[in-house]
Amino acid sequence: MSTFDVPIGPMHPALPEPLLLKLELEGETVVGVDFDVSYMHRGIEKLLETKTYFQGLPLVERICGICNAAHGLCYTLNVEKLYDKEIPPRAQYLRLVVEELSRIHSHLLWLGIAAFEIGFNTMFMYTWRDREAVMDMLEAITGNRVTTEYSQIGGVRRDIPPNLADKLLKTMDIVEERTKYYVKVALTERTIAKRTQGVGYLSPEEAKATCAVGPVLRASGVKNDIRADDPYAAHSDVPFNVITYDTCDVFARIVVRAQELFECVNMIRTALKNLPEGPYRVKLPMKPNAGEALTRVEAPRGELFHYTLSEGALKPYRYKVRTPTLANLGALRAMLTSKGRYVVNIGDVPISYGSIDPCICCTARVHFVDLKKGKSWVWTIDELRERSKRGRLLP
Amino acid sequence: MSMIGELIRSLFKKRATVLYPEERGKVHLPEGFRGKLEYYEDKCIGCSLCFQVCPSFAIEMVPEDKSRFPKNQTGRRPIFNIARCTYCGQCEDICPTKAIHLTNQFEVIALDKRDLMVK
Amino acid sequence: MSFEQYVVETLKTVVFPGFVFIFFLSLFYEWFDRKFYARLQNRVGPLYTGFYGLLQPLADFIKLLSKEDIVPKKVDQLLFTMTPLFTLALSIFATLLLPISSNQGVVSFNGDVIVSILILTFICITVFYAGLSTYNRYAVIGAERLFLQMIGYEIPLTLSVVGVALNAQSLLLSDIVLSQERWWYILGPQALGFIVFVFAAQAELERIPFDLPEAEQEIIAGWNIDYSGRRLAMFRLARNIELVFLCGLAATFFLGGPLGPTIEGYTPILYTLYFVIKSLFVLAVLTVVRALFARLRIDQVESFCWKYLLPLALFQFVLVRLIL
Repeated sequence: MSTFDVPIGPMHPALPEPLLLKLELEGETVVGVDFDVSYMHRGIEKLLETKTYFQGLPLVERICGICNAAHGLCYTLNVEKLYDKEIPPRAQYLRLVVEELSRIHSHLLWLGIAAFEIGFNTMFMYTWRDREAVMDMLEAITGNRVTTEYSQIGGVRRDIPPNLADKLLKTMDIVEERTKYYVKVALTERTIAKRTQGVGYLSPEEAKATCAVGPVLRASGVKNDIRADDPYAAHSDVPFNVITYDTCDVFARIVVRAQELFECVNMIRTALKNLPEGPYRVKLPMKPNAGEALTRVEAPRGELFHYTLSEGALKPYRYKVRTPTLANLGALRAMLTSKGRYVVNIGDVPISYGSIDPCICCTARVHFVDLKKGKSWVWTIDELRERSKRGRLLP
Repeated sequence: MSMIGELIRSLFKKRATVLYPEERGKVHLPEGFRGKLEYYEDKCIGCSLCFQVCPSFAIEMVPEDKSRFPKNQTGRRPIFNIARCTYCGQCEDICPTKAIHLTNQFEVIALDKRDLMVK
Repeated sequence: MSFEQYVVETLKTVVFPGFVFIFFLSLFYEWFDRKFYARLQNRVGPLYTGFYGLLQPLADFIKLLSKEDIVPKKVDQLLFTMTPLFTLALSIFATLLLPISSNQGVVSFNGDVIVSILILTFICITVFYAGLSTYNRYAVIGAERLFLQMIGYEIPLTLSVVGVALNAQSLLLSDIVLSQERWWYILGPQALGFIVFVFAAQAELERIPFDLPEAEQEIIAGWNIDYSGRRLAMFRLARNIELVFLCGLAATFFLGGPLGPTIEGYTPILYTLYFVIKSLFVLAVLTVVRALFARLRIDQVESFCWKYLLPLALFQFVLVRLIL
């Protein structure tokens, strides 16, 4: 049977961000897949080198609009490693609260997106409606709905006063109740089960081999969570369970994320109950010490990775970000080409793609386009190594 | 079929959205919302800290007549370009004399770029 | 035929309950569908054009008509131009069969039950060619899905209607209406047939859970991806008229059509009112179904139709036979 190519993207209703999925179809069956993520290059790493550490924070938060709290947190933790100063424990607890809040908002948003990808518009509308409660809380705590910019080098920007904490606890009750409802719907609705069970299969071995991170990895039954493995903010003091599920499909990812919502709610409750007294911020000098620092944070989408190299100057010499979506793209290819186990229909592509909670704009790699020759290409790691040995990158 | 109860309930619920331009009054903003900034020149000491932390270069330091504002010791004062502002609020945080305050005004639209300067 | 009769018949066809009435009714139904769907999802729906957005479908229609007419280079010109017209013509003709203002449609002949089902198939085939004529990859997949889906729902749909026709002992729509003077068929074993009909209608109209031929997230707009401007307007209008037709057909077969208590002299108006109310009830059911489910995959559509709808339709058929 002859095959034909169908491009999904870079502009497509199911994709919020530019990604090209070149699907090779045999009828409706996907037999091959290739992708290109280089439609968006924002040069954030380079821009960060032109800004001081304090100026860089709002920029880092804009790498990803949805997991901005995780990005900001990772940045501040990373830069703080360059100072020899203890961060007050209250700040760490407050950071945890806001990070978990943003995880709730991200997971609810993802639940809506997943429902939208399988054409379940009603659930999409409901989850996004209920997510507003969390967004309002974020706004009340930090001053802005989306780009919270809460974590600051040396602590957090604002305190959570007791009356706001009470309000937050009340919101948590609402979120818990609504999450229970969505879990019930996801578990009992036949059409959701039909569209997600067995779809986007990613075996634990493949998940490990493709370096999947976050909920995608946990849904394949691998216990891996940076919050537990390498505690950063106050995660060592606030107990929580690492949720895993063993069916390795999109359904498992829904269950894992939904169960994580309960964990987030409980973590916020515990953290607010045990909020230590003391200052929420220490003033740090503009210039950190020389050295390098590397931090991992469990963003809503998985392991987030920040690296900085400081010369002791006002500005970083090099800043490097590895976002979870880039790590999960390999897993996506494995999902879409899992031959033998089940047949991937083109109708399964959007939900499989959606199940890694993609955020393409954070991931773009260097892609070379030569307009005169009409060619475009990507350098492999070996080529880059070769060129760096020769001491020059551009030909 | 498991959503039928919720569907029928929401049929009789009030809509979840606010009809924004008509029902502007219903837009609820919390305390500490980061909106358009206000600048109190009588409090400013001209330290230029806000200029240093601004990530989007929205703040510019201009010379100031010292005699008008006795607190201002350096003879320089900031002017703010709201068109460049990202509403991060770092200037408000760092200001030692609370001369900058972010209001809850979020509708910043102007036909002329010059109207977006806070002086 | 005398001149007066001729004028009356023409007016019937063109104005009421013919083209003009159906046109506005179809726009009203689209508005109802959108508004009700929005309310189910706790949204507002159309709001600004006219009273509660009542004129929004008309505004959309006019906007589409006034848009630039884009014909892609590589399409089959003939089919690309003709299929919107055919679809519209077929769906308008179909509504003439519906008994709206009396127990008889504008066009009524023995066997119009079969013709009404046949027209649905014809519409499906024209739409299939509409997709195929653009040679777009998404459109081809959409058209192929459309046909696969049709294979699934057509037989249960016909069987559910056969049960009704069998009960009425007639293949005439007006006879079916009259036979429900005392007892609507939905209150008997045909309730099962009604369920089958609702799902089949949903599939025929390409609405969730059966909107695969134009599944937005998968194949963008499916078969109508290359249509824009007035061609798209025609397709949309045809879809809306088909919506009226299928809701009306369900009302005719299962809810007693336009029959109801009447006052002397006002019969046509009251009949029309009853028809609209009954078919709006069917539309509400269709909209709830649309809000309740996620989209199925094409193999799941097939298995749903053959595993659940067909046995249900057959069971209903057997029940009717047993009762008779």
